[in-house]
Amino acid sequence: MMHDVPGDPAALEQLRVQRSRLADRMRWPWWYQSGLAIFWALAFACPFLTHGVRIWPILIGAVAVACLLQWGLVRATGIKMATPTLLYPASGRPARIAMIVGALAALEAEFLLIRHGLTVTAIVVATLAVVAEMACQQVQLRGIRQGLRGGGGAA
Amino acid sequence: VTATPDPLIHPITRLSICGLLAAGADWVEFAALRDAAGISDSVLSKQSRVLEDAGYVEVRKGAVGRRPRTWFRLTAGGRQAVQGHLAWLAQLEETVSAGTRDARQAGHLPGDRDQPASEPEFGELPGKGPALVVTSSGGGRAPRQIHHVDTERVD
Repeated sequence: MMHDVPGDPAALEQLRVQRSRLADRMRWPWWYQSGLAIFWALAFACPFLTHGVRIWPILIGAVAVACLLQWGLVRATGIKMATPTLLYPASGRPARIAMIVGALAALEAEFLLIRHGLTVTAIVVATLAVVAEMACQQVQLRGIRQGLRGGGGAA
Repeated sequence: VTATPDPLIHPITRLSICGLLAAGADWVEFAALRDAAGISDSVLSKQSRVLEDAGYVEVRKGAVGRRPRTWFRLTAGGRQAVQGHLAWLAQLEETVSAGTRDARQAGHLPGDRDQPASEPEFGELPGKGPALVVTSSGGGRAPRQIHHVDTERVD
């Protein structure tokens, strides 16, 4: 059946509004941000551990916290994004690369500073690294929201 | 992506559901989809079943405590059909805005009563199925109506 009904472009416009509404749901609750900060703090605290302490339980704990946070976020927002890789999704890719490079650089700097007895400077570096990682994650989130608004390449 | 209209996706409610699922998320929860689309529970249930039966949408049901949770995602075939349909709509939008632009340039405002109305036509493109042909007459006048393939009301 084919009838005369105006409004196809209007339907596309309506879809843009609906996608914008969906993207607005993609916000981090306070507990997720706090959890992320704890996760990064744990990660950047690793170089401070003395030789007597095993690193594996801490790493496993950090991964468990990350998985739990992700699970909670999916349930809170009602949106499950595909597992991100370095290349996918395209939105927020620079922030993801910056996060990895920044984390590696900060860990290396901490090891170096601790070896030279500059513990206070190493603590400052660790704190700055946590702040930087949180900022990168915010940029990444903004990219994800932008991707949802834009339709991930689909019109 | 081939710009092809899909009669199953064309009704506005199904277009909203599919368009939201194609926005970039992997899985979208029932409540998130309902709120973003601005439709009722029953409409979403009914239309998602149609899309599921057509093999366009995959449904996963679960529960958190005593609360049932339903998740949706597009299948590969569904994603292809949605992208084709959205591309077709985008082409249509482009045609309409080009028509409006031409009308403005020609000095005629859309809706002028002294000009004969131009009627878009449906036709068949060889090997590509149904297509919309927007005709323009009367000095590049913008078309007044867009024709739908199917205008079945679904809500």
